Amino acid sequence: MHQRSRGSSSPPAPMSRRAAVALAVGGLAAGGAAYAFTATLTAAAPKTIYLQIGNGTFTGGNYTPIKGNGQPTGSPGNNATINKVSVSVAAASVGNGTAQAMTTDSTAANSFWDGFAFCNLPQQLYIGGFYRTTGTGTGSVSVIATVPTSLTNAAGDTLPFSQISWTSSGNQDSGAEPFPAGTFSSASLNVGSIGQNQWAESCWTFSYKNTVVPAAGTYTGRVLYTLTAP
Amino acid sequence: MRPRYLFAFCIIWLATAAAHAKTTVIDDSGTLPYNAAVAMRWQQEQPRGAARNQLTGTLQLRVRLNVSAWLRRTGRIYMVLPAQQPGAMTAAWTTQGRLLPGQLVPGTRALVYSGPITTPFIEDVVQLTITVDGRRMLQTYPVNFRFEMDEE
Repeated sequence: MHQRSRGSSSPPAPMSRRAAVALAVGGLAAGGAAYAFTATLTAAAPKTIYLQIGNGTFTGGNYTPIKGNGQPTGSPGNNATINKVSVSVAAASVGNGTAQAMTTDSTAANSFWDGFAFCNLPQQLYIGGFYRTTGTGTGSVSVIATVPTSLTNAAGDTLPFSQISWTSSGNQDSGAEPFPAGTFSSASLNVGSIGQNQWAESCWTFSYKNTVVPAAGTYTGRVLYTLTAP
Repeated sequence: MRPRYLFAFCIIWLATAAAHAKTTVIDDSGTLPYNAAVAMRWQQEQPRGAARNQLTGTLQLRVRLNVSAWLRRTGRIYMVLPAQQPGAMTAAWTTQGRLLPGQLVPGTRALVYSGPITTPFIEDVVQLTITVDGRRMLQTYPVNFRFEMDEE
C-alpha cells in the first residue's frame, strides 16, 4: 500500500514489535531519500589574513557597529605607509648605557575593531591582525620580522639592530600579549602569533639600549614584518 | 502471567505504531532550486567574539509541497534537517507567510504549517540561512532537508 511505504499504515496483526519499528524507520528513510531538497555548502574565500604594523586602513569605518544586515561597518584595506620609530640621543649621552625611549610617527592609536584608543601616541606602535581559515587549521600563524644586521648612516657606519628592543602592552589589556616584548636579536625573528580565527593586537614601546658609541650621524634600517598562512 | 505480558506488549506496540503511523514525507520535488549551491562566508569578517568561527550562507527557495493526498483534511507540516555532516550547523528561515518561519539544528524538525489542507500545493518563498562552524568545513557538503506531514 502507498501509505505503508511511508510508514503510516496500520500494522498487520502477525508482525512482531521489533519488525514493526524497523519497518517504520525504514519507511521514513526511504521517503527521505525520495524527497529531499539539497543545499550544497561550499566555503567561499574563507582564508583571510590581515596584518597591521603602525598605520592601517579600514574602508567605511571600524568593524563595529554591526549593521542591520549583520555585516560589519568597515572593511580592511591596504595601506602602503611605512612608519618610523626613532630617537635622537644627545651627544653627551651617547653610549652611557641609559636606555633611550623611542617614539613613532604612526598615527594608529585606535583599534579598527571598535575604535578603542588602544595605543598611546607617540610612544607606542600598533601591531595587530587576524587569521581566518576553515577546517581544523594549523592552530596559529606567526608574524616574522626580517631584520638587517645593522642600521647604517650616510657614511656607511653601522649600529647593531640588537640595540633596539621593545615592551608590549595595550590600554585595558591584561594577561600575556600576543606580540610580546623582544629585541631585534636575529635576522629572522618570530615576534608573535595569531590563533586561528582570532584577532590579536598589541602596542609596542621601543627603546634604544645606548650601550655603544657609534660615529655621529643618522642611522636607519628597515624591518620587514610578514604574516604567512599555509 | 503470559496473557498479561501479551497485553502489555500490545499496548506498547500500538503506542509505537501511533507515534509513527501518520508521519509521511511530502513530495517537495517542485521546490526550486532543488539542488542549490550555497556560498558560505564568514559571519564576521574580523574574528572576535563567539561567532568568530561561524560561516554563513543564504539561499532563496521557492518551496512547493504537493499535499494533494491530504486535501480537505487537517495536518501539520514540519521541515526536517536530518543529522548529517558537517554536523554543528543551524538552518533558519523566513517566509512570505504561507509557511511559518523558524530554525533547525541537525536531527530535529520544526513546524512550518498547521491547519486544513485546502489546496493541492502549498507554496512559499523561503529565505534560508545556514550557519556552520567553519572548523568543520573540510570539504563541500550536500545538506539534505525534507518536509513531513503529521496527519491529524
